[in-house]
Order: sequence, then C-alpha cells, then structure tokens
Amino acid sequence: MKRKLDGKTLGAGLAAATCTLLGQPALAQDAADAWQFDSAVLYYSEQDRVTAVEPVVRARKQFQDESELEMKLTLDTLTGASHNGAITSDKPQTFTSPSGNSTYGVVNEVPLDDAFKDTRVAANMQYTRPFTRTLRWTGGLNFSNEYDFISLGLNAGLLWDLNNKNTTLTFGLAHEADTIDPVGGAPVGLTFQSDDDKTDGSEDRSINDVLFGVSQVINRRWIMQLNYNLSVSDGYHTDPYKIVTVVDANGDPLEAESFGATDIGAGDAQLFELRPDSRTKNALYWENRYHFDRDVLAVGYRFMSDDWGITSHTLDVKYRFQFDNGWYLQPHVRWYDQSEADFYQESITAAELTALQSGGGEVSADYRLGNLTDTTYGFKVGKEWANNQQLSLRVESFQQSGDSDASELDALITQVGYTFYW
Amino acid sequence: MKQGKALTLEQDGPLWRGRFAAMASPCECLVRHVSEKLARQVVQAVAEEAWRIEYKFSRYRDDNLMAAINAGDAQWVVVDDETARLLDFAEQCWQLSEGAFDITSGVLRRAWRFDGSDRVPESAQVDALLPLVGWDKVKRKADRIRLQQGMELDLGGIGKEYAVDSAFQLAGKFTDADLLVNFGGDLVGRSATAPWQVGMEGTARPMAGQLKFTSGALATSGDSRRFLLRNGVRYSHVLDPRSGWPVAEAPRAVTVFGQQCTQAGLLSTLALLQGKHAEELLREAGVQYWIQWGDDAPVTG
Repeated sequence: MKRKLDGKTLGAGLAAATCTLLGQPALAQDAADAWQFDSAVLYYSEQDRVTAVEPVVRARKQFQDESELEMKLTLDTLTGASHNGAITSDKPQTFTSPSGNSTYGVVNEVPLDDAFKDTRVAANMQYTRPFTRTLRWTGGLNFSNEYDFISLGLNAGLLWDLNNKNTTLTFGLAHEADTIDPVGGAPVGLTFQSDDDKTDGSEDRSINDVLFGVSQVINRRWIMQLNYNLSVSDGYHTDPYKIVTVVDANGDPLEAESFGATDIGAGDAQLFELRPDSRTKNALYWENRYHFDRDVLAVGYRFMSDDWGITSHTLDVKYRFQFDNGWYLQPHVRWYDQSEADFYQESITAAELTALQSGGGEVSADYRLGNLTDTTYGFKVGKEWANNQQLSLRVESFQQSGDSDASELDALITQVGYTFYW
Repeated sequence: MKQGKALTLEQDGPLWRGRFAAMASPCECLVRHVSEKLARQVVQAVAEEAWRIEYKFSRYRDDNLMAAINAGDAQWVVVDDETARLLDFAEQCWQLSEGAFDITSGVLRRAWRFDGSDRVPESAQVDALLPLVGWDKVKRKADRIRLQQGMELDLGGIGKEYAVDSAFQLAGKFTDADLLVNFGGDLVGRSATAPWQVGMEGTARPMAGQLKFTSGALATSGDSRRFLLRNGVRYSHVLDPRSGWPVAEAPRAVTVFGQQCTQAGLLSTLALLQGKHAEELLREAGVQYWIQWGDDAPVTG
C-alpha cells in the first residue's frame, strides 16, 4: 500500500468537485475551515454637503464546536459641510465656528458649518457558542472613536431554538457608555452663540437596550422575524454644534445685542440648542424573506416611537434576481417617514425664547429631528464564484425632504464589496 | 443491453412510486403529496434522464460518444459540455486519489474476470496491459480529448451516481415536494415532511437495519459476489490501476451517506481502493459509512 490518503482533504475535494460537476455552487463545507472576509468600501456623497468614504472589513469564522466569532472594523472619513441649525434667510446672519475662534456669514443659503471633518474608527467583536443542543449564548464588545466622541459597549444574549429549529427566540441586553468632548467645550444650552458660553470637560451618556426576537420558519420558502427593542439613554443628547435662530415677526433673524449678548455681526441672535437629558425608544422590526425557486424577496418594516415625540416608519424591499453562473441583480427600495420631535422648531421668536429660558424647556432646529421623508432606490449587482468568492457593486440614490430648506437633500451611495475565504 | 422503456406508476396513500429499468438496475422515483399528473411528469423526467445518460455514456454501445472517444485512434475527439465536466471530475478524482481512481483502468478487465473461479492471470498478461492504463497518458483540452492507441475510457465508476444526482436535480425543477431517486440502491432524497426510510436489501449493500434521513444521498461500491479464489487467497475485484492487481485486504463493499450521490459513490470507491485503510479514510472524511469486511456483520461509523 502506498502512502495513505488524507480523508479530510479527499472528502472536501470530492464535495467541491461534485458541486462543479452538477453545476451547483460549492457548499459552505468547502469553506468550513476558513475565515470568511467581507470587505467593502462605501462612498456617500451629498450634493454640496458631506462626503463620506467608509471602508469596512468583517472577518467571520465558524469553529468545529459550532461556535462563531465575528470581528468588524470600520473606518469613516467625513469631509464637507453640515447644516448648523440656523434658518435659511435673505437677510445676513453671522455665526461663530465650533472652536469659537472665528466667525462666518451666510445670506440666502442653507447655513453650513464647513469645518465639518471627522474620522471615525469602530471595532466590534461578537462570539456565539452553543451550550446545549438548543441554547446558544452570545457576547460582544463594541468600540467607536471620533475626535470628539468615544463609545464603549458590551452586549450579552441568549438564543433558544425550538420546534425542531423552526423557531428561534432571542433575548439580549446591551449597555453603551459614550463620552462627548466637543471642540471648544460643551456650550451652555439656550445661551447665545456669540457669547461663547461653554463649559470645560466632557459630557457623557449611557444607553441600555433590551431586545426580544422571534424568528420563525413558516415553510420551506418563507422565514419571518419579529424583534422588539427598548432603548433607554440618559445623559447628554444635545448636539454641541447646532444652533437655533431667534427671529422677528417677519421670520428674519434678530440681533444678539438686543438681548444683551455679544455683538459679532448682523443676524447673530443664534442660540445653542438644548435637548432633553434622557430618551426612551420603542422599536418593532418585522422582516420577511421569501425564497422563490432561485430568486429571493425580502420585505422589512420598522416602527419606532420615542418619548421625544418622534414616530417613524421604515419600509424596505429588496428583490434578488439570481441568474446562471452566479450572477445576481438586486433592486432595492427604501422609504422612511418621521414625525417631528416635540421640541423641534425651525426657529423661535423672542417671546418663545423668554418662555424657554424661564420655563426650562428644550429646543432644537436640527432638521434630523423634524418631519422627514426619505426615499432610497437603487440596485446591487454581484457575481458569486464556485469557491464562494463574491464581488458586488451597489449604487443607490437617496432623496430627503422635510419642513425646512436644510432638510432638502440628495445623495448618491456607491459601494464595492468583495467576499473571500482564507 | 437493450432495455424496454417501460415505466409504471403506483400510488400508496400520499406516495407515488414510479418504476423503470436502466443501467442494468431496477430504478425508482418516489414523490409525495402531489397530483397524479405531476407525479407522472416527474417520474417520466427522471426515467428519461436515466436513459439519456445511459445511452450517452454506456461502453456497451458502438453508436455513442464513448464509443467515438474509445475508437478515436489517437486522434482528438470533440466532446460536449456535459462530457467535459465528467472528464474534469474524473481527473479531479484521479488527482485526489493519487492515481487510485482512474477511468482508463477498464482495459484491465481483458486480463481479469471475477467469476468466482481460480483463473488468476499471469503477471505477463497484466504487465502487457499497463501501458494502456493511466490518466496521465490522456491528452485534454477544454472541449476535446485524445487517447493513445488502444486505450479506453470507462465512466462506469461515476455514471450511475451522476445519473442519480442529475435526475434528482431535474425532478426538483418540477416540484418542491418530497422526492427520492433510487437507481439500483444508489440514491438521493429530500423531504420536508416525514423522513425517507431506506433499508438493506440483499448482500451487496453492507447496511444493517434502516436509515432515516431528510436530505442526503447513499451510494455503495463493491460487490461481495465478484472475486477470484486461488490457493486459499481471495482476490477482490477492486483493481489498483497503478499495479494492475487487486487491492490487498479490500473490504467487500462500502456504503457511504453523503450530500450528493456522486460524492458518496466516489468516497465509497476510493475507500475500497484504500484496502485495509478504508475505514480510516471514511472516518477522516467525516461521513456516515457501513463497511462489509468479510462475511460478518458490517462495521459502521
């Protein structure tokens, strides 16, 4: 007898060869011992505003004991200008930069803070492991860092397979601690930007989440998932770079000096915004996946309601056309609608300012807290090879509209993805 | 090998059973919870596919592609896509097995006839055939093949299992219902309702009792009735193409449960070719198996 063959290599080789012979995509078993790497670069570009480049690498491995480790590294580079919160007016307005060291003026345009530039690094790690035939536990760590923001999070959960693995119940808890260290200090809410009244030191926020989930196999083709998520956060929620314009009866910007504040130019009655120091969100997510003979339809709906008065609905539909030779085309439509927060105002009057300052209320003119409707449509095209490598291109157009000029936004999203095993 | 193209369909509760003969074996196709019309369509498609593959790749015909390749007379012969894929597969098996599996080894049958007698050939007879054996002597291009003078291809070691998988895939295009395709004991099935239950029949398949499964394939290699016996030495019919002689201490038969019939069939064949190391190979491959060593009950794992 000659040198003995290695059964493991032989078995895997035969499985792959059989799949090729039968014209089937090679089964995962071929890649069972390898790390799966998903890499992607996303390019997001808002017209005249923010441009983001986001490379992501995710590595995943399943071990012999059916445990699974997933690690993800994200890098975000943002450049461009973002809306500072002030109204769009045909009268001149004057603002200070976030550092408080310089001023800039805007007329007849959406006031943008063009010092907007940031790099975010985020790392996630999640480990899932079975400990009985039907129970798995999962634990994870998250870390995210920006020049003015650090976030640390951890989560733990239980997954329970029932009913011959046709039903899976999920229970999860997560905690996140954020530290916000704004450039130039954290402004005192509802004071005039021109006074540059800021506190030294950082602000913080903690977020606790509870998640209940059910995923249910309805039949061979249809799988459904329902998640409920309660999120309670406490601490600093204000955006330190956003302001609110104080206007007169005609809606024109007032002057800071008329309120006894520092005069830095025309139309400088701009208040630092102030948000509540807690937020409780309830969210429900419902997803359906239906497998046709080759194609797949995915329909997701999300409902969110919080104690700031925001209610949102998201509808997401994807259809994957699967072609021969591993090619696929996946059109995507997403629709999002949100109602405004109770304290959202595009601008406030002098009377409203007095009421806020004496009554201890909150106000923000951040369009992201106002009424919004977003529509995203686009497609993804990709090719999968027999060795499970995958290359894809996603192109999407994003359109947003709301109550203010600042909320009108068009963006283009492009993503190139590559999956390989190693 | 002329076969009547008879096809019967029987109903047993929710189960439809189609029977026909192909590849010198009784064949059946089982389908559950469908209308009679659909059952007939599925069974007909499975039988047509078995007959098609048999016709195309049988080495007992002189009017098919195999005959054309074997009569190629050292010339290039153009092959179609399906044949090219089968040849590629055979080449991969040859590589993976380090030459133990070889579709050119059929010519050794000119010296070896396993009829239970004591007619073991002379060494010289076997040696004379060895120059005609060896996949490395075959020339391949993507869509063509060239054999050396006197060489022959025999896809018998792959054909039936491939036919099972191919017919099963074809049937799957008609319906999502529970399905089982069984060509003479080499089978593949899937079920979303009650699992399929297959049992042992005869001695060729070393399986004791019943196997229940919802998705997978079963294939057997070996035949305990084919051997030579001389001076108390039993010569198995499993020939090592590298020496031209039977593999020493080979099991009589091996059954493997795998994902596809072709994969299970090749694993069982390659295990036989490993002789006494058969079980080790299957254990490493991580599949469920049954090995018939002698006249004793099969070893399973």
